Amino acid sequence: MHHVFKTYPSQISALSDITLEIFPGEFTFIAGSSGCGKSILLRILFCADKPTSGEVIVHGIHITQIGFKKIYQLRKTIGIVSPDFKLLRDRTVRENVAFALEVTGHDQKESKRKALEILGRVGLEKREEDSILALSAGEQQRVAIARALVNSPPLILADEPTGNLDAQTTFDVMEIFRDLHLRGTTIVLATQDTGLTRRYPHRVIHLLDGRKVDSPTV
Amino acid sequence: MGGNLFSNLITIGIISISMLIFSTFTLLAFNLANFFNIWEDKIEIIAYLKRGIPSNEVGPLLEKTHLLEGVEVVRYFSPYDAMAFMETKLGGQKDLLEGIQPVILPASFEIQLKKDYRNSTKIKEVVTHLKKIPQFEEIQYGQEWVETFSVLVHILRLTQWILGGLLLIAIIFITSNTLQLTIISRREEIEVMHWVGASPAFIRVPFYVEGLIQGLLGSGLAIGFLFLLHRGLFFYIPPSMQTWLARIPVLFLPPETIAWILLGGMVLGFFGSFVASMRVLKYK
Repeated sequence: MHHVFKTYPSQISALSDITLEIFPGEFTFIAGSSGCGKSILLRILFCADKPTSGEVIVHGIHITQIGFKKIYQLRKTIGIVSPDFKLLRDRTVRENVAFALEVTGHDQKESKRKALEILGRVGLEKREEDSILALSAGEQQRVAIARALVNSPPLILADEPTGNLDAQTTFDVMEIFRDLHLRGTTIVLATQDTGLTRRYPHRVIHLLDGRKVDSPTV
Repeated sequence: MGGNLFSNLITIGIISISMLIFSTFTLLAFNLANFFNIWEDKIEIIAYLKRGIPSNEVGPLLEKTHLLEGVEVVRYFSPYDAMAFMETKLGGQKDLLEGIQPVILPASFEIQLKKDYRNSTKIKEVVTHLKKIPQFEEIQYGQEWVETFSVLVHILRLTQWILGGLLLIAIIFITSNTLQLTIISRREEIEVMHWVGASPAFIRVPFYVEGLIQGLLGSGLAIGFLFLLHRGLFFYIPPSMQTWLARIPVLFLPPETIAWILLGGMVLGFFGSFVASMRVLKYK
């Protein structure tokens, strides 16, 4: 990102002159309190929002210059994990994960096989036929992570993936991210949990009121 | 899913009613135009001769009339022929003519036109030429009926298309609204599709297909119902009217018109879904 600004029509500045670079294979925290611009930064990286000005390059593509018809191709290379999981309540665990493959052109048999494989990596292979509603918050988050991974994206954007979870479940989820990182996936994780950034010694980009700061002011 | 099915059925029902109204007018206009064409085909011009024309002038006049552009056959009816014709027509009541002398009836030419002159425009051209012949007292061809029918067919066609235009807007509006509801009810699924990289076509095409199917089913039901009404016409009307109607063919819509109505329904359904997807399915 180079000198990215995001200002809403009401003149509220969500991001102000953000310049940063994240390298392949890095694990980067985007840290800051609620409303500091973490989520909007991830949304811009994911092309769910456009910056008011500035340049954003993801996987070598200037995303501010591509049309919406090309956005979907970029999104196949990005896995997104949301704090509210965004799972389909009327489907099973496996169906939720396989959905990400089915809608991107994979056949049902292959989708099912890959979904099971990914569920094994997040420790939910035994729950494949369960309804999403039968899972705990932590398990649902793991399903969301599995869905984000199933297309083998090189980049994962996670927005407060542990925000609604207890300590043990947070640990379980962070172990999954750690494992992904060790396998070479680039992870960008937005969090307001300063404890998380202390426990996991990775690069941290601090945001305060939409600006990048060297370290948070307590 | 149940909610979607219900709203889809409602949409199909409303499209069906709209297309039924349009198709009914189309059918009426079609049959009236057809009847008009059949009737026009049988039109003959009667040219009444002035009284006192010598009999040796009739032959040359006949020849002159026959040479007019558009005239195929000319037959001469003397006053006696006219009387005999009336007696035949009256049948058992021919006594009504007792005491009436044939000489009071005018002689006439019965003129049959060539096939391509048997329409209201060409008939008038021939009549204009006939009127210039001084030996003719009066020219008759059922002009009031020709004009009335022509206007009636024109009005029906105009009504058909004005109504069609209004119904078209209604169908697009209804389909669009139903599909918006469907899209909104599936917004979570659609959002996930956006997130994982489903193409815009993958997301939109099913809704376009849904609109097409709604339009096709709606117009198909309308045609089917109209067909049953058309068939029912001959089962439930009194036998005396059936006899009279049998002389007038009441046709159903021809296959090409049916195909156009079905296609029209599909296009309207598709357009409705297109409008809905443009309004609601913004890429996120």
